[in-house]
Formats: sequence, structure tokens, C-alpha cells
Amino acid sequence: MEFLSFLIKRALWSVLVLVGLSMVIFVIARVVPGDPARMALGPRATPEQVAMMQSELGLDRPIVEQYGLFIQGLTRGDLGKSLLTERPVTDDIRETFAATFELVLCTMLLAMGFGVPLGMIAAYWKDQWPDTAVRFFAIFAAVTPSFFLALLLQILAGYVLHLLPTTGRLPNSMEFEASWTGLLLIDSVIAGRLDVLGEALRHLLLPSIALAAATMGQMARLTRASMIDVSRQDYIEAARAFGIPEWLRVTKYMLRPSFVPPLTIMGLEFASLIGGAFVVEMVFAWPGMAAYGIRTILQKDLNAVMGVVMVSGVFFVLVNLAIDVLVGFVDPRVRIRGRR
Amino acid sequence: MTHQKLLASTAAVAFLALGSAGFAETVVTMNTVQIFGTIDPAKISDYTDYMAAVNLYDGLISVDSSGNLIPELAESWTVSADAKEVTFKIREDAKFTDGSPVEATDVIYSIERLLRINQGPATLFAEVLTPGSVVAVDAKTVKFTLAKTFAPFLATVPAIMILNADVVKPNEGTDDAQEWLATNVAGAGAYSLKSWDRGSEMTITRNPEYYKGFLEGPIDTVHWIITSDEATVKSLAASGELTMTSQFQSPETYKALVDMGRFQMVSQDTGTAFYLKLNTKVAPTDDIHIRRALAHATDYATIREVIFPGGVLSTPLPKAFAAYHNDDIPEPKFDMEAAKAEISQSKYAGAPIPITLGYVAGTGFEEEISLLMQSNLEQLGFVVTQAADPWNRITEIAGKVETTPAVNQIFFGPTYPSPDSMFFTQYHSKSAGTWASMEWVNDPEVDAMIDEARATGDVAEQAKIYKALQAKLHEMQPDVYLLTQTVQHAMDKCLTGFKAVPMQSFDYDFTRYQWTCK
Amino acid sequence: MTDIPLTNAYQNWYRFSRNPTAMIGLVIVVICVLAAILAPYITPFPDHVGAVTNFRARHLPPSAVNWFGTDNVGRDIFTRVIFGLRISLLLAVVVLGIAIPVGTILGMAAGYFGGWTEIVIMRVTDVALAIPPLVMALAVAAVLSPDLLHSMLAIASLWWTWHTRMIYSITRQLRTQEFIEAAETLGASKFHILFREILPNCVSAIAVKTSLDCGFVILVGAALSFLGLGIQPPTPDLGTMVAQGASFLPDYWWESVLPGSAILFLALGFNLLGDGLRDLFDVEDVR
Repeated sequence: MEFLSFLIKRALWSVLVLVGLSMVIFVIARVVPGDPARMALGPRATPEQVAMMQSELGLDRPIVEQYGLFIQGLTRGDLGKSLLTERPVTDDIRETFAATFELVLCTMLLAMGFGVPLGMIAAYWKDQWPDTAVRFFAIFAAVTPSFFLALLLQILAGYVLHLLPTTGRLPNSMEFEASWTGLLLIDSVIAGRLDVLGEALRHLLLPSIALAAATMGQMARLTRASMIDVSRQDYIEAARAFGIPEWLRVTKYMLRPSFVPPLTIMGLEFASLIGGAFVVEMVFAWPGMAAYGIRTILQKDLNAVMGVVMVSGVFFVLVNLAIDVLVGFVDPRVRIRGRR
Repeated sequence: MTHQKLLASTAAVAFLALGSAGFAETVVTMNTVQIFGTIDPAKISDYTDYMAAVNLYDGLISVDSSGNLIPELAESWTVSADAKEVTFKIREDAKFTDGSPVEATDVIYSIERLLRINQGPATLFAEVLTPGSVVAVDAKTVKFTLAKTFAPFLATVPAIMILNADVVKPNEGTDDAQEWLATNVAGAGAYSLKSWDRGSEMTITRNPEYYKGFLEGPIDTVHWIITSDEATVKSLAASGELTMTSQFQSPETYKALVDMGRFQMVSQDTGTAFYLKLNTKVAPTDDIHIRRALAHATDYATIREVIFPGGVLSTPLPKAFAAYHNDDIPEPKFDMEAAKAEISQSKYAGAPIPITLGYVAGTGFEEEISLLMQSNLEQLGFVVTQAADPWNRITEIAGKVETTPAVNQIFFGPTYPSPDSMFFTQYHSKSAGTWASMEWVNDPEVDAMIDEARATGDVAEQAKIYKALQAKLHEMQPDVYLLTQTVQHAMDKCLTGFKAVPMQSFDYDFTRYQWTCK
Repeated sequence: MTDIPLTNAYQNWYRFSRNPTAMIGLVIVVICVLAAILAPYITPFPDHVGAVTNFRARHLPPSAVNWFGTDNVGRDIFTRVIFGLRISLLLAVVVLGIAIPVGTILGMAAGYFGGWTEIVIMRVTDVALAIPPLVMALAVAAVLSPDLLHSMLAIASLWWTWHTRMIYSITRQLRTQEFIEAAETLGASKFHILFREILPNCVSAIAVKTSLDCGFVILVGAALSFLGLGIQPPTPDLGTMVAQGASFLPDYWWESVLPGSAILFLALGFNLLGDGLRDLFDVEDVR
């Protein structure tokens, strides 16, 4: 019951943030540019087209009403037409989002899958060499620009060792339509194409390492701090006194509560992760939403850019909602206290 | 890494290479640096648009690498004595991709639709063709009657792509099938559209039933990848996926590809000129002495030999138009002393002179040229601002005198094989306000000379006018003549057939290419 | 939270100097700042900052003359890297110069006054957190023109929220403490309480966060110029240099790798310094 009300509260908070986000985007897209209709249509538009767009956007009406129209468009999934592709922005984003989603998902798994164990190792051998090593790794991971790491990986794996592909999601010669989920890793299994699965994994590896490094370091650092914190708690001391074996103590009683702070931070880190995706997708020519965003920005393609910003924001809010629910499961105390 | 893994990955590469060498079919993968804007024959306008159009559609006639008109759908044509009537005889066996025959009515439909929509190639025929100008003599013969004498008319005909009227009409809707033809093809071309993602790629496949047939070792599939990123190009080449590059890669990338062993460089001189277009209506380039000073302050040899390969350009017209080229105008010389002398004669002498250098953002060689110009100009007392803009922004700022930078790096190649295409589009006041006419010449005398040449049927007479026009333009110096482009591609050694054509991108008509490896 | 009065400077310095990572960080930061300030005097080819071209000397590998090699128009990369530090540091100074005062004042107000002030301010920070600063800068670049000033303002327009959240949580803890209540009873003005009682207790947290943030702002700025939204050439900018050098990989690796390492080095310095300050002031919750 209390879990349900916790969920409702979190969901309401998310809606509130989304409303705020839509206001920010409205201001950037409709208020900041002198003539949003001309900007959205591009340089080659005729005066008639501009006039039509102006009345469509309701630019002569009061600002509040314009915002209402804007929201109406959003709820219908109407983000306007892209200048670059001459297609509805929604279609473009739907097609490119899967690639970004796959990359980000893989990155989060990597960051958690390696970051948390590294943190545990560091906490277990606190102030010994593994701790120092992990700390160094975390600092370097945090301060290496993701585009720089991406380039280094590209040189090393692509040019020096000739090990892994350095661009795209699949070889161009490979024909495969990811028609179920858009995620190659899942659709290739459904279609029984193991060759596609293998290639998809090979292509995913470098970009997700480049994107995951900073978050991985952060995870390791927080897991370490949080494990050390928990190990000082009374009930762990008690467990030790009762002679509960060490492996059980670490995995069962310490790991679960220690998991909460890294998980929560993961949610906030997610914003910088999306930001990082913009550069990593460019370096690896990853056909995702972020690369689409960059291409459209350089073309001053207003509708497309706003669509990408909006979807990034929604993505962030949804991931945080999911993480909150997860945290609520892992740590019952959170359900009552709330986390903010 | 273990030895076994290395072996496995080499094996995979070898397998891929075999695959592209044509077990089953021949695939040419090429990168191109700009997006395909449209495939609608009534709207195609730029170089990249034509790259797709010449493969998807056929015209009545086409152009070869020497600029000669060659038969395509039309097997022959006759021109009346006053050059006002042109009659085309369509090939008996000419057929569309759906198997139906190409007839005079299709030609009439295509041209009238072109004139109604009035975009793209239609600008070539303004005041020349009107509705009713084209009539069917019989099912396989069409007659064009021109409203006035227009000497370059025949040379512009290859720009007209013929639509299959029976297929297009049911899809006309309310917009003359503009929406339908934006994504569908209905023509007689040698290739069909297989997939097109406007931002990233296009794939076309061969029609085995094509009425003209193919050369031995035809290209079955052409796959264009849209990227200008050098790293991506190199990585595609290294993984065996790339067959030929675009013509705009850096010398370093070409070298890296040749070092891979699979590629060779294919270089050819073209009729495409590369200019610094000087805005003659804003400070400081409104002063003839400043314009001449800029021409003297340009290090031509370094640009041609190190930065971007090219030949000498000494007038606005490339030497490819040999019969029309004014050979009396001397080759431009890099001479800083002469530049100083010119500046001292200008009204801006004696104070720092602010000047803006514009170029296309993200093109490495243009930035290098801009830096080279800046370093020379700063020695002469200019205060330089660099303005890098994406291409579509340049087309926008070219629309107004005040927003056009003083100096602009622009490529311009013939859009049809006639000197008229070089002069009218760049210097005639009717063409003002486009990226090709950033000089804002607007000179009545120049206009008159261009019009006069257009109205003259006699080639020798035309040559005389064009030579005088070059002298006149040289006197005005609205451009710095950087070079004539030497087009370069790194191509798979198995691919042959590239020959530069002085019309748009007709050199990427893939029926002219062959795969020579078995 | 235990705060050390900043007046006890000598004691602080003693403790700080015993912390090796903090000292390394400080040394790196001092070197970088000095190098940026003294760039025209310490670099071998100060004129290479501008549009100098020497096409015979293009793509030279690192040597005794050109420590970091030369770029595609023959300019000395070492010189340009040192000057490039200026843009990176300028970016950090401007962004944090806006974000810290704004963030601190709003954070104190939200924490101290509570009620609607708190609700409005904190909900706004929630919204701002949902937009990555890099993405915001890109959006602004699409509407206005892509240049450094717009990027800086766009980043600053979101960055203050992190400071607000931090100062807010500190203020909330302080609000119920005796010395604040005592000041209130004595009839001190709101201004006095915020700026004379609460602010001094936030200083150490702000110092730690500022140092860490410098590193992160520099990274975001470098990413922006890497994507082509930085300062116009020929002014040297580290992110732009990496992007340009990248098209000459792998043969001329120094043209991208060395400027990239410079960004890493600078960010590392601020990060280590921040870490050291955190240990010194014992403010665990600042990240």
C-alpha cells in the first residue's frame, strides 16, 4: 500500500518535471528566435509558406495560448517536420532512437556490471593496493573527455590491432531489418540470425566502453564509500559477532543496502550519459538520435533539434522513475522516507 | 589478444572482400558529402541531386566526357536553320522500367509538369519554352518550338528527365504528384531506387531489362553513404566496405587508402572552377584595387599543389572550354609587392582594412585556404574575420548584398555543356542572389554580352563574344581564380569507367562503369 | 558537518600539504593557469596562435623544435595547446562565475524560507536536471548562432542548479541549529542571517564543488568545440584541435592525441584538487 502511494508520488513528480521541460523547450523554440516560423521552415521557404506556418503556430495569439497549442501538438506526437530529412521529426526520432537506446542500455549494464564489483573490491581491500588502483581508475575515467577516449579506442582497436569495427551498428554489406523492437541484439535473436547478433555486439563494444568509462568510475567510487559506510553499521558488527561467514555477510547483508546510493546517482548521472552519447555517436558514426541531433543542429533544423532535446529529457525522466521504483524494491526504507 | 582471434578476424575480412568482389553481384559503395535533396525530376538542382537522377531516369539525350551530346532515349535529332525548332526521334525500343514504351506524350507531360512546378531545371527554360511549345509529331517524334533563339538550348536538354506519364498521372493528387515523386521513381533509368534514408544513405539496383543494355561487368547495386568524416571513410575502406570515395576527401585520406593496396587514385581535369568570389558591393571589395590586391595576395601554387589539386585558371572560364577560352589573359601571379602597390592606390589605403573570409564549415581544405589567405592578408594590413557557415546557411546569406561576405570560396562547374552556363548563372543580373553569383556584378554591359551570345547561332561569333566577355570580367576582377578542379577519387582497382563530364554529376552515371575483376 | 574556520590558514595549509593527491592537483592547476597567463612569453612560436601557415612544415612529428609536432597548416601544436588552455579556463570562470552566486543565493533562500519559495526553486532545479548541459548548449546553438558566448550562457543556465541543491541541503540542516535560532531571537535581519550566518558555513562546500566543477565545465566545453560549436578559427581551442586532428588519424596521431591529453591533464588537476579539499574540509556529500 505504502509502495503504491510512493509510486504515485514519483509519477506525479515526473509529470511535473515534464511540464517544466516542455516550458523550457517552448521558450527556446518559440520565444527566443525572432521568427520561429521562418526558422522552422528554413531559408528556402516562400513568404506564403511562412505565413501559413505562422497562423498554424498561432504566432499572433497571446503567449499562453501559443503554449497551449504547442502542448496540443506534443501530445499528438507532432514535433513538426525536419528540414534535413523533410519527414516528420517523430518518424526520424522513432527510427534513430532504438540505436541510441541500445547503446545507452549496453553502457549502463557495463557501468553497473564493472563499476559495482570494482567498488566492492576497493572496499574489501580498503587502503590496500586494489583500493588505490580503483581510485586511480575512477579519477582518470572521470576526467577523460569521452570523445577523446572514443578516439583512443578507435585508434587502438580499429587501426593498430584491427580487432573491432570502428563505425556504425552493422557492416554495410549485412542485410538485416530490425523490425520488432529496433534493437539489433534482441531482433537478431528473434530472427535466429546469430551472425547479426555477433556483428552487432562487436560494433557495440567500443562505443559503449567509451561512453561507460566515466559512469563506471563514479559507480566504483560510490559503491566503495557506501560499502564502507554500511560495514560500520551495528547490524554488520552483530553479524560478525554471531560468526556469520564473511562471504555471506558481504553478499547478503552489505551488498543490498550498499547498492542504493550508486543506483540513485546512476539516475542523475544519466543526464551526462546522454550528453556523452552525442559525442560518442559522432565519433563512431553511430546512426542514433544523438548523431541525428548534431547533424540537424549544424543545419539549423529547429524542429528536429527541439524534438531531440524533448526526447532526451523524457528519456531521463523515465529512467529516473524506473530507478526510483527499483530503489524502492531494494531498500524498503526509501518507500517511506522518499529520497529527495 | 590471442593468435587464434587474430586469425579469425582476418578470415572474416577476407570473406568480406570476396563477397564484394562479386560472387553473386557487384556492389559499388561510395561516400558522398551532401545529402540527396530530391529525386523529383522537376526539382533536382544541385550536383548531388543529379547523381541520383541520372541513374534513376533517362533523358532524351546525354553528355559524354568531351561535352558532346549523345543519344539516350532519342536516337537522333534535327535543328532547324533558325535554331528555333528542334525535333527528337525517340528510339523504337525505348521503354520504361515497367516495360511500357517511351512515347512523345511522355516527353510532353514531363516538360509541361516541369514548367508548371517551375523549380529546378525549369529555370533553364524560362522565356524559351512555354506550355504548348512541345508537340507530338507522331508517337515517337517530338518537336520543340522555342519562343526565341537560345543558342545553348540543346546543351540544356540532358537536364530534362522523362517521366512515365501513365504511372505518374494516377498519383497526381492535388500537387502534380510532387509528394508521390518525392519518394517514388517512374522513368526509364538503368537503376531503380531500393532504399533511401535522406540523412544517411541511398541504394539503387540495376534493371536487367534496361533498353540500352549494359557493358560487360555491370554494376548491380550502388550504395551511397552520406558522410564527409575522414575517419569514417578510412574505416569503411579498411573494413573492405568502400569501393570509391567522394571527390572531396583530404590528401591524407587518399594516401591512407592507396597505402591499403586495394585502391588506386583516379584523377582527371574538369571544367569546374574554384573561385574566391568577391562581393563587389560591400567594403572593402567594392574597390577594384582591393580586389586586384587580393588576386595578387593569393598563393596559387601552394593551393594547387599542396591543399587542393587543380590546374591553372586564368579567366572565369576553365580551359576545358578550349574554343571559347581567352588565352590572352595572363595566368594570375602571387606577388605581395604588387598587392601592396594596389592597396596604396585604393581608397582604403593607410588604415587597417577589415575583411571577412567566408567558407563552408567543416571542409578541411577550405579552412586551410582561408588560413593561408588570412596569413598573407594580415601582412598587408587587413584585419581578417573568418566566417565558416554550413552550406545551407551560405545559400541563405547569398540572397542579400549586405549579408554576403566580402570573400567567398565557391566551386562552380558547368550545369550544362555550354559556356553560357558559366556566365549566365554567375554574372548575369537575372541570376543575382544565389550562391553562384555572390559577386553581385549586376553590370548592364555584361548582361548585354551574355544575352547577345545566347541569341547567336554561329559558334565562331559566340566565341568572339565570350572572349571579349572574359576580358571585360578580368578588367573588373570580381573573382580570384584559384584553380580548375582536378577531380580525384580513390577507387577500388577493379572499378573502371570514371570520366569527368562537363555537366552536373553526369559522370556518376553507373551504366558507364565496369567491374573488371572476376 | 564539521567546519574548520578559514581563518586558521596555516593549519589548513599544513594539512593540505600533507595530502599528496591534493598537492599534485594544486601543482597541475597552478602550472596550467600560469602557462595560460604567460602563454605569449613561454611558448616557442607565439605568432602561431593566429593565421600563420607554413605548408612545407605541415604534419611534422614531435621533435625538439616542435614538442607536440605541427598541424595541417604547419603551426606548432605545443604553442597552440598552451594558448588553448586560455579558452578552457575562461569558459570555466564565466560559467561558474554565473552559476555559483545564482545557485548559492537561490539555495539559501529555498532552504531557509521554505514554503512556496522552496517549492518553486526546487521544482525548477528538478526540471533543469533533466536536460544535459551539453544538449542545452546544442539547442541554443541551433536557435542562435553556434559560438562560445552562447554556449557558455547555455551551460551556465543549467549549472547553477547543482549548487542550489547542495546549498539547499546544507541550509536546511543549519536552519534548526541554535546559532541561527539565537540570531533570529535577537531580531537579526533576514539578509544578516543568510549572508552572515549561513553563507560562511557553506564556504568550504562551495570551494570543493567549485574545484570539481571547473574540471567538468572544461570537459563539457571541450565536447562542444569538438562537435564544431566552439570558437571560430584561427583562435586555438583544445576541443576543436582534437576534432581537426581526428581526420588525420592514425598517421598524424599527435594532432589529436596531444591536445586531448592537455584537456585530460587540466581536468585531472581540478579533480584532484577538489578531492583533496574534500578530504581537508571533510564534506563527504559534495560530488
